[in-house]
Amino acid sequence: MFNNYLNGSNEYLGRLYLIVSSLLSFGLVTLYSISNDPLSLNSTFSRQIIFIIFSFFVFLVIQRMNVKTIHDNSTLIYLGSFFLCFIPFFLPPVENTFRWIDLGFFYIQPGEYLKCATIIVIAKYLSNHQLEVKESYIIIIPLAIAILSAFLVLNQPDLGTAVIIFAPVLPMLLWAGVNTFTIFLLIAPLLTVLAASNFMIFNIWAVIMFIIFMIFQGSLLKRIVLYFANIFTGLLFPFFWNDFLNGYQRQRFLDFLNPDLDPMGSSYHIIQSITAIGSGGLFGKGWGQGSQTQLKFLPVQESDFILSVIAEEFGFFGISIIMILFFMLIKTLLDLAFKATDYFSSLVIIGLTSIMFSHIFVNSAMTIGLMPVKGLPTPFVSAGGSFMLLCFIILSLVSSLSKN
Amino acid sequence: MLKIDNKADIFHYRTLLFVLFVSICTLLSRYFFLQIIEHERYFSKSQVNSVKAQATYAPRGLILDRNGEVLVENYPTYILTVTPYQLDSKEEQFSIISDITNIPLENINQRYEKFYQGRFLPTVIAKNLTFSEISQIEERRLELSGFQYKRFDERFYRDALDDAHILGYLREIDRESLSSLDKSKFYRAGELVGWQGLEKQYENELRYSKGIEYIEVDTYGREISRINDNSVPAFPGNDLFITIDARLQEYSKSLLNDQKGVILVSNVDTGEILSMVSNPSYSMDIYRGETNENEWKNLLNDASKPIINRTISGLYPPGSSFKLITAFNLIENGLLDPEDNLMCDGSYTPPGSSRTFKCWKEDGHGLVDLNKAIAQSCNVYFYETVQLTNLKDWTETAKIFGFNEETEIDLPNELIGQIPDKEFFIKTYGRWGWSERGMLLNLTLGQGDILVTPLQTLRYINHIASKGKKTAKLKLNLNKEVDFYHDVELSNQTWDRVFNGLFDVVNSDGGSGWRARQNSDIKLFGKTSTAENPHGDPHAWFNGFFELNNQKFSIVVLVENGGGGGAIASPIAGKIVSFIAKNSVEIVSKVVQ
Repeated sequence: MFNNYLNGSNEYLGRLYLIVSSLLSFGLVTLYSISNDPLSLNSTFSRQIIFIIFSFFVFLVIQRMNVKTIHDNSTLIYLGSFFLCFIPFFLPPVENTFRWIDLGFFYIQPGEYLKCATIIVIAKYLSNHQLEVKESYIIIIPLAIAILSAFLVLNQPDLGTAVIIFAPVLPMLLWAGVNTFTIFLLIAPLLTVLAASNFMIFNIWAVIMFIIFMIFQGSLLKRIVLYFANIFTGLLFPFFWNDFLNGYQRQRFLDFLNPDLDPMGSSYHIIQSITAIGSGGLFGKGWGQGSQTQLKFLPVQESDFILSVIAEEFGFFGISIIMILFFMLIKTLLDLAFKATDYFSSLVIIGLTSIMFSHIFVNSAMTIGLMPVKGLPTPFVSAGGSFMLLCFIILSLVSSLSKN
Repeated sequence: MLKIDNKADIFHYRTLLFVLFVSICTLLSRYFFLQIIEHERYFSKSQVNSVKAQATYAPRGLILDRNGEVLVENYPTYILTVTPYQLDSKEEQFSIISDITNIPLENINQRYEKFYQGRFLPTVIAKNLTFSEISQIEERRLELSGFQYKRFDERFYRDALDDAHILGYLREIDRESLSSLDKSKFYRAGELVGWQGLEKQYENELRYSKGIEYIEVDTYGREISRINDNSVPAFPGNDLFITIDARLQEYSKSLLNDQKGVILVSNVDTGEILSMVSNPSYSMDIYRGETNENEWKNLLNDASKPIINRTISGLYPPGSSFKLITAFNLIENGLLDPEDNLMCDGSYTPPGSSRTFKCWKEDGHGLVDLNKAIAQSCNVYFYETVQLTNLKDWTETAKIFGFNEETEIDLPNELIGQIPDKEFFIKTYGRWGWSERGMLLNLTLGQGDILVTPLQTLRYINHIASKGKKTAKLKLNLNKEVDFYHDVELSNQTWDRVFNGLFDVVNSDGGSGWRARQNSDIKLFGKTSTAENPHGDPHAWFNGFFELNNQKFSIVVLVENGGGGGAIASPIAGKIVSFIAKNSVEIVSKVVQ
């Protein structure tokens, strides 16, 4: 069936499958090198193959779905995923969290599917032809949906997934044509919060923000209110930080800001990861020859830190190939969104692309110490059943939405 | 197909593509920086391999007696740990260790199972390494990756107070007990934790606070360098001064010889316990090194129950000292004129009953008033007078002296004994199987279903000695603040009447406790008890108090199945009082802090 697409019926989809196959192969080759006994049924490598086969069948089923079915049932899909997220709260906690449902042969994480469902329901709202996209109030409903979903997974608790749920909102709003000033208003509080950690930076940011607020048009009162709302967000953030976040969530963030603080905690992971990457050099130490990896100094190497393994064993050369593949993956998805025949499909693809991209970016940035350690795997490369299934679901949605 | 066509804007497409391009370039440039520019640095670092955090320890606090004599200290030993993920081949390496240390392989495996706590955490697999064993391990370092020996403090119990009951002991934490311990103290399997006695009670004070140090190690686990930047030093635990006077304790214990029993001495004004003997005890030696299972079994199955701390966990009938409960109850409620004389002809027959209750003195005490009844412990007097009160009032009176509740001593496992009330009797004997009058005859002699701990008796004596006001709570920690039990509100007249009786017990002709009489001018008050029990000869009790250098002291002597309280317990009490008077400088005077 790949051939069909390669032969012109949809060249972008063909390209997409080719890229995904390359990523999957690269991942398997790497997993083979780090598995103790790769051919036994319990090894990471064999399990990954089983996950891929299983996910592929799910892909075959979902990609047959009609755009109209997805569009008309979007609310139902959202509510379904939403209530699925409640199930873990009634089950015994796994590793002290309520993120997982144990299916016996593997765990599923309903929060993952809520990401997709949130996108679909937001896309449906934004693609409504009666919507006046130029009015800034239209951002309210997409934001409310995202906040609702994020709040639910935050209680599981799963800060990573909660953050990822927000990732698609901005690109989708931009795609839908919401005006730039409104989008600036959305980013501004985030930057304000980040700036709030340092008094000087906060002052500089306050001035820059003031200038931007002056340039954009709108009623003076509205601009003043919004400006001070931002300033107060920055001032109140320290209280939120102290009372609202879990100890380990704060710790992960702080470790990121200063990785030398706690060599045995989560920044221990970062130090080990950077050492593995840096020691790889241009062409790497060779397949199965990474000392950091093989001596198990590098933790969670099969999922969170799989890119560090690639960097150590295949060097900058290997990492460049992976990065180019990632770039092409996202670009192809953007192309598909741009070429999609209807607006709903286009928006959903943009949302799904954002999820893929944020996973890639956060995971890579984490391995090289640019972001806090977060349990986010890399699409199609990291080992893990639940996330692999999600990637294939995204792929199948994109595929079904692009076919018409 | 859907109504709305794709309105995607080429500008937005380009914006997102631009963001993508910049992001991927950022990532790639960082990879480039690390892998090409900084490569040398990280490559050599990867040869060195790893920073390892390692817990550091400090000594546990000492335990000292009130005069500053060290009772428990630490001595250094070496233990061998293994970090599971660094093992090359568990079986092979364990058998090398087994050869070196002469510990059977199965014991090593057993310990490994029991104390295992994760792949990255060291597990203690052998203790008390000798110097030659350490040097052999060092010689075979390359075969033994993952193994480490380190200093480890064990407890050393000085002979001054070889008493497991008070001091308690430490136990190795294993995987099972780990979950029950305070998380904030960072306990790990293989470490020691206070498991009984003061070691348990004051675990938080005595325990050191752990430190952490970072070392760089190579692939074989060999230390390369120490990183001092972020290390946290370990701090020793606080020393614990206890109220016990080791010499008095030793002396008291010697008076019991091999008899089972209890001796308690306390300072009434401060609640400090000066002596707390529970005999038989067992030597702390069994906690040095490894005790095998048989030794433990013998100790647990010993018929004389050395493992029980009789002072707080032994339950005994109190005997005649409870006659005072009747006296307090009757005088305070105006039911009895202490001057009234009753006739004791050696037995008492309750009205309307055919059963006769005997006085311990078969030919009777003759005419008896309250004073004489207490002094000579006349049963008939109390048989008759207890009929004037009722069960509810009587048990209430017993309870205000702290029976049926904890003394709040700072030791774990205290029992509260049993003061039977109406509900208890109904439950035990059925609604019609007992009569209130009949039960009172038993209770007034401190017999029947009453059970008390010796420490509760001490508290009772302290309440009396301080006339019910500001009775200090009993304690073993010298630096614990003085706290008070609730007051026992009785009129002065009541206290005086009972005091007179207690004085005569020791100091009058015919007083049952005359053998405790002092040659010096110390005025000893007391009460003997001879408590019948189902386990053999009666228990001999002497409970008393006296004043010395303006401070009050109390004493409880109990000889289990010893016989008469007057004949057996009183002389022991007398000797202890003399000993305290002779050594008053250490015992009475204020202490080293």
